[in-house]
Amino acid sequence: MAVVIAAARFWRQSRILGQAALLLLRRPGARGLAISHPHRQQEQFSSLDDKPQFPGASAEFIDKLEFIQPNVISGIPIYRVMDRQGQIINPSEDPHLPKEKVLKFYKSMTLLNTMDRILYESQRQGRISFYMTNYGEEGTHVGSAAALDNTDLVFGQYREAGVLMYRDYPLELFMAQCYGNISDLGKGRQMPVHYGCKERHFVTISSPLATQIPQAVGAAYAAKRANANRVVICYFGEGAASEGDAHAGFNFAATLECPIIFFCRNNGYAISTPTSEQYRGDGIAARGPGYGILSIRVDGNDVFAVYNATKEARRRAVAENQPFLIEAMTYRIGHHSTSDDSSAYRSVDEVNYWDKQDHPISRLRHYLLSRGWWDEEQEKAWRKQSRKKVMEAFEQAERKPKPNPNLLFSDVYQEMPRQLRKQQESLARHLQTYGEHYPLEHFDK
Amino acid sequence: MAAVASAARWLFSLRAAGAEGHWRRLCGAGLARGFLHPTVTGEDAAQRRQVAHFTFQPDPEPREYGQTQKMNLFQSITSALDNSLAKDPTAVIFGEDVAFGGVFRCTVGLRDKYGKDRVFNTPLCEQGIVGFGIGIAVTGATAIAEIQFADYIFPAFDQIVNEAAKYRYRSGDLFNCGSLTIRSPWGCVGHGALYHSQSPEAFFAHCPGIKVVIPRSPFQAKGLLLSCIEDKNPCIFFEPKILYRAAVEQVPVESYNIPLSQAEVIQEGSDVTLVAWGTQVHVIREVASMAKEKLGVSCEIIDLRTIIPWDVDTVCK
Repeated sequence: MAVVIAAARFWRQSRILGQAALLLLRRPGARGLAISHPHRQQEQFSSLDDKPQFPGASAEFIDKLEFIQPNVISGIPIYRVMDRQGQIINPSEDPHLPKEKVLKFYKSMTLLNTMDRILYESQRQGRISFYMTNYGEEGTHVGSAAALDNTDLVFGQYREAGVLMYRDYPLELFMAQCYGNISDLGKGRQMPVHYGCKERHFVTISSPLATQIPQAVGAAYAAKRANANRVVICYFGEGAASEGDAHAGFNFAATLECPIIFFCRNNGYAISTPTSEQYRGDGIAARGPGYGILSIRVDGNDVFAVYNATKEARRRAVAENQPFLIEAMTYRIGHHSTSDDSSAYRSVDEVNYWDKQDHPISRLRHYLLSRGWWDEEQEKAWRKQSRKKVMEAFEQAERKPKPNPNLLFSDVYQEMPRQLRKQQESLARHLQTYGEHYPLEHFDK
Repeated sequence: MAAVASAARWLFSLRAAGAEGHWRRLCGAGLARGFLHPTVTGEDAAQRRQVAHFTFQPDPEPREYGQTQKMNLFQSITSALDNSLAKDPTAVIFGEDVAFGGVFRCTVGLRDKYGKDRVFNTPLCEQGIVGFGIGIAVTGATAIAEIQFADYIFPAFDQIVNEAAKYRYRSGDLFNCGSLTIRSPWGCVGHGALYHSQSPEAFFAHCPGIKVVIPRSPFQAKGLLLSCIEDKNPCIFFEPKILYRAAVEQVPVESYNIPLSQAEVIQEGSDVTLVAWGTQVHVIREVASMAKEKLGVSCEIIDLRTIIPWDVDTVCK
């Protein structure tokens, strides 16, 4: 009987009925639900029309035995607008963005870079516990963020701080989360770089990888039902794309027709694991068509290419209620995190190439210079100014106390259950008696 | 002739031995029986079954919630879902095979009534179902996800424990997935073996941030499910599958709530406390009367109902 129940799970019962119904339609009154003979079934469809009838695929027959060769030598081409020197290659692809907007791109990327340097250093000095830099990937963040509406919901992985930066998330709040101080909107509960902002529609980061992917799809489905004219964008790395949740997310988005942009940052490494050990196919973009998803591969270090692709994907995702997959090729110039020393698994030369020869910030700077929208003097002034802004925010964040220990117990549920309230009271009593053994002076009273 | 006769006998024994349920579904699926119309003879199947050994004990007809109707467990679930979708326009139901009515008929008629954007099938992927449900709930809409058997909830364990349970806490209450409810058939049925019989509530019982609820009867199920759906925390609602047809009671037609995290003292006693949930409540009732009769022991029976956060006070009183 276990077999019967298991069979019920695998048999598509409604499909069996559906096929029987098909028979009924073809030959009225003939055999109803009786077993059909394959021979008779062929007779029902004209022999001139010898097409496959399988519900599972829409395709022609072939009588030659041939395996499809996956194409990894000459994969999906990489869309770009600027060359490595920041010059527009095909003028018809130039988005013709106004100066203020392009300057905002540049300033967001460089401010992020400056903040990364200072916070990485602060971890080295023991001021914060942990940090992850975004070196080399600033173009993927800013190009895509600029192409969205401010109210489009963002689900990230952990290396998308530039999206928040572009949406004007204040330095004070970046720092507050990294320091876990009383200004942190997340109430100091998570490790650094796990940012979240309701006002800017950036869902709080969580450490488990790829879990955000099916969640983003659900959010997109709800946005579609609400006729919100919003897209959801979901960022993840090429490593996270190996997770089961990624497969689940892609498949659900396609079958349930969700207005979502899947944005993969393919930066060459998942900690120490190179892409050759992460997948054997043609990257992530090649997987999209397998799910029925429109896909593109772009030069992630070309902020205009990222912008154009995201803009068009957004327009169509909302208009047509279907998912889009953008694989942005880039390079992770920094270590995976402050807990990593990448010289253990890659050469300094390799890193230097990307830092010096193909960096999103340099390429945009060349573009700005060639347009006469930027010069050395402004560069020097901006570097000084951005560093000053970051240092000020940093010093302020250092001085603030940590949140009250009471906040250990709230928000587990919407309401605090009795057991947790008892624990909270128990801790309070404990601290009253033994408080001298705890660094209470650093915590909010 | 002999072959025909033996084939007929084989068919009969198939029917009798409980493939009947499967047979019924094969015949009944897709036909529009009024979903509140109770199906016949759950009891015959139970009596012929020699494995399950308990008697479902219905509670007296509730008077305080208006008109009632005779419903079995799956019908009371359908009724709760119907009430939910009627009053909450954001509510959606999804999972494997829910569109045609579900493998246990819990969602019969709902797609026709509320539309294919509100009651729909998903691909066969539990981690996707729960992740997708979390995402819907994050936007504030009501998500009612079905996992076809509790035995298959494990691929979704990461999404439930690492994501759903911690969503509000880790974001400092900026985000939450409180409007997510996961429903799943639960518990032994006699012939389910390893993978259609599991009761996995213990794996979730120590995960702060979620609620786990298990009803003992149709009346309890509807009220508890409605409370789970309306609760502002992610909930898992396990439905004892052996009671889907075997448990029949008078259940209010309108919406009503039974509070979560409140255990119910079904029978007062003075010597020993018996705590149970789901199907086992009925077994333990028999045990209590046997103890009284044979050992002169007075048992207090408590139906825990919510496994986490559980009602310590009632049990320990």
